[in-house]
Amino acid sequence: MNAHSEQPHAVQIAQLSTKRPWSWYRFFEKWKDFSFALPALLFLLVFTYYPLIYSIYISMTNWNMTRPIKKFVGMENYTKLLSSEEFWKVLTVTFKYTVFDVFFTIVIGLGLALLFNSTSKIFNFLRAVVFMPYYISMVVAAMIFLWIFNAEYGLANYILHLAGFDPVAWMTNPNTALSALITVSLWKGVGFAMLLFIAGLRSIPMEYYEASSIDGATRWSQFRLITLPLLSPMTLFLIITNFIGSMQVFQSIDIMTNGGPLNATKAMVFWIYQMAFSDFRTGRASALVVIFFIIIITLTVIQLWISKKRVHYEG
Amino acid sequence: MSKSISSSIRLAAAILITILMFFPTYWLVVTSLKTPYELRLAIPSFWPESFRWQNYVEAFQASPFGRYFLNTTIQTFGIMFLQINVAIWAAFAFAKGNFRGRDKWFLLVLAALIVPEQVTFVPVYVMMSKLGWLNTYLALIVPHGASAYGIFLLRQSFKSLNNDVLEAARVDGAGRFHQLYRILVPMAMPTIATLIVLTFISSWNSYFWPLIMTNSDNMRVLTVAVAMMRDSVAGDEALTFHMLSAASVMVILPIVIVFSFAQKHIVAALANSTFK
Repeated sequence: MNAHSEQPHAVQIAQLSTKRPWSWYRFFEKWKDFSFALPALLFLLVFTYYPLIYSIYISMTNWNMTRPIKKFVGMENYTKLLSSEEFWKVLTVTFKYTVFDVFFTIVIGLGLALLFNSTSKIFNFLRAVVFMPYYISMVVAAMIFLWIFNAEYGLANYILHLAGFDPVAWMTNPNTALSALITVSLWKGVGFAMLLFIAGLRSIPMEYYEASSIDGATRWSQFRLITLPLLSPMTLFLIITNFIGSMQVFQSIDIMTNGGPLNATKAMVFWIYQMAFSDFRTGRASALVVIFFIIIITLTVIQLWISKKRVHYEG
Repeated sequence: MSKSISSSIRLAAAILITILMFFPTYWLVVTSLKTPYELRLAIPSFWPESFRWQNYVEAFQASPFGRYFLNTTIQTFGIMFLQINVAIWAAFAFAKGNFRGRDKWFLLVLAALIVPEQVTFVPVYVMMSKLGWLNTYLALIVPHGASAYGIFLLRQSFKSLNNDVLEAARVDGAGRFHQLYRILVPMAMPTIATLIVLTFISSWNSYFWPLIMTNSDNMRVLTVAVAMMRDSVAGDEALTFHMLSAASVMVILPIVIVFSFAQKHIVAALANSTFK
């Protein structure tokens, strides 16, 4: 692409008319271009940025949605939250879910990518089927697994029975309930990780493998020394985006466990939702929202920081 | 010889995993055709004794399912129409426009990518309630007017298009809307099509937002309705699962159809767009 084609029309006009410092025509031209961005900016300001700032404000009040009184209480909501046992329990549950979910998504996704990375036609079809759960509504996915994990009639217990084990009360046992939630998420998510890993694999030049096999490298050492390092930017991207996504787990909890048993599956967003819409403690819920958002921002910054470092390293 | 053996082992493993991944969907469809009695057999049957289409009829009779379908459809197409147009305009401004602080404004768009709806829903709920928009399509659609991701994706696509055609159109006196809708949009059609499909899928499947913004029965969307159907049997989904699964099949059917037509397209676009 040449430099000329990169240059927008209005720039040329601006350059042509540099003798006149200001003209109605130029002003109108600029305003016209900006007006195309205006709807999007307005939507974002009203429905993203304003709510964000408003949340910070509400988080410092004792507002209860059912009452009109709003009193400024400073950092009280935060100190109460941070000193409550429930907060740390919820945080632990959220991170436990997230770490397992992300770890298995990455490992299985990579495994699938290595297996399914073939150009033959039948693999196109197989990949599409593996990817399909990604599009299925989480509500429906949760429903399917609720049935599979049903203690009395579920398929999971039937398989355990065939293998000679006792049935498990999946959804009422704190440990298995969390694994059930992770299972749903994995079923929905590994196909996507697989596709991205395949894209990553295909961007690795074949010459690297050819050269190293002439040098007598085994397939395992090729995988360890070529594939894994060259996939690391993709892996990092998947870890961070999956981490942020997993932290927001809500639908499967709402449908499969309702935060139970004994709060064993009560994750952050579900707690925020409960606090805001069952207890109507809007102020406290907003403080939790702010804490939640700070965690997400921190993760994003870490991602940007690491990927920047990598670029410098390469350059 | 050994190469063909290893490649057939590989194919066999891949087929096995594919069957495993497909199984839950298959199980849902099969369950939706079983009789309530067959659902509770000690040994689950992998193929229904007879197809009980009555489950679907019952799902429709148990609740105003047609209405839920309509609500989800209106929500989905409303968001699609608004989001795509807003994104096209913004992408045009950010890719081809010229105004002061263009890239700074774009940064404001990009930063919105990291703000999930779980962070904004409480204030937006308050806003909607003040406007009297709760339990209306407006609350379901309007807050989703701008998609930072969509704008980002389209801007990339517009930027890669050559300016010469636009210049020519300008010389001929074509206005901005003409340039945008007659020239840029057709040229960026693959990206726009991907965006349409992605928006369709995420809006069709959305649950959190409609759950919060609506509570009346006639404004309920499919996903929320299915979840409520499960709640109404208080934990024992075994009693109604024949109906629940029939309802679930109807929720995913449109998506599966769209998916099977556009699959190749989406997969390629996703792989290219998410990681740059």
